[in-house]
Amino acid sequence: MTNLVTLSNVTYKRNLKIIIDHLNLQLPQNNIIGLLGANGAGKTTLMRLISGVVPNYKGTIRIGTATTNTARKQVASFSQILTGVQPNARLTEIANYCDTLYSDFSIDVFEKIIASLDLDGTEKLSALSKGNRMKCVLAVTLARRVSLYLLDEPFDGIDSMTRKRLIKSMLTWKPDNATILISDHHVEDIANILDQVVILKHQMVISQKSAEEIREKDGLSIETYYENIYEGGVDHDQSHDNL
Amino acid sequence: MEFNDKIPIYYQIKQYIYTEIIISHLSPGDKLPAVRQLALDLTVNVNTIQRALSELIDEGVLESKRGKGNFVTEDETILMKLREKVIETQLQHVYDRLAELQLSPEEMITALQNYIAKRKDDNHD
Repeated sequence: MTNLVTLSNVTYKRNLKIIIDHLNLQLPQNNIIGLLGANGAGKTTLMRLISGVVPNYKGTIRIGTATTNTARKQVASFSQILTGVQPNARLTEIANYCDTLYSDFSIDVFEKIIASLDLDGTEKLSALSKGNRMKCVLAVTLARRVSLYLLDEPFDGIDSMTRKRLIKSMLTWKPDNATILISDHHVEDIANILDQVVILKHQMVISQKSAEEIREKDGLSIETYYENIYEGGVDHDQSHDNL
Repeated sequence: MEFNDKIPIYYQIKQYIYTEIIISHLSPGDKLPAVRQLALDLTVNVNTIQRALSELIDEGVLESKRGKGNFVTEDETILMKLREKVIETQLQHVYDRLAELQLSPEEMITALQNYIAKRKDDNHD
């Protein structure tokens, strides 16, 4: 398997507090990878680091051939994309804005996704319910045609029917060979679509394993595996077998 | 389709396709939906579907025709063996559980016969 993303020895501190500590991680291309960890484990920070929006960190982060923050912003689509967008903007205006900002943005894909999710492009962002806002975030993020998608809690606080539709959109619109890194509080919601799980604890990656292997070799659900690792402590599983 | 979260998804997809073939929802020579369509129908990863299909192709249950897609084999021998294998797998579970309960083979046969008779009665009620 070809690696798309490589983080070597990445450390990040904010206000003298260590958020990410000498982290090493490799993500293959054409995979859907679940990023798991308790609140404060560093999931969002890790995604921000990879996406290229964090200015001061130590170590190297590479997506394909892109190593600088500027270069990585061009090849990764991050779900915090709507941060800074005018709340009273209409969805079509947001799409046009993203189209000028990102050369890889596809208005066509955006329109197809919002239509499939029953969103009305003339609506204002500020008028959307939480569920509809999540749909919009996913549509904008996936409308960029890139090799890496970073989805931070894309199903947070939405009902199970909507979640299922968002997951289907994700499966439909993921370009061949693209990788999706996705975090979710409820592991069981996304367990069926994952190739791998990466577990973050104490500012480090404490486990990275194939989802099917967890079921096949350990006989565990992803959720149980995650809970066991988390409660078992850092030294429980340092293995990165068969990746 | 509801998946058991402790069993590999690719394995459950294989079982699902076996069943579809045995109960003739998929007939010999039928074309399977495209990989991405199957992934959407079952809400699973494309890679998982690909793994299941490639194992079914290795087993001869499916035939991959370049540029055309995947088709259920028309080889009668393979289909007959498939049916036997799936039935055997189910019986194996029952046998192992009953053996664990220290039933003799004769007791197993009696228990199974009684159970079938009981189910027949239940269905007639």
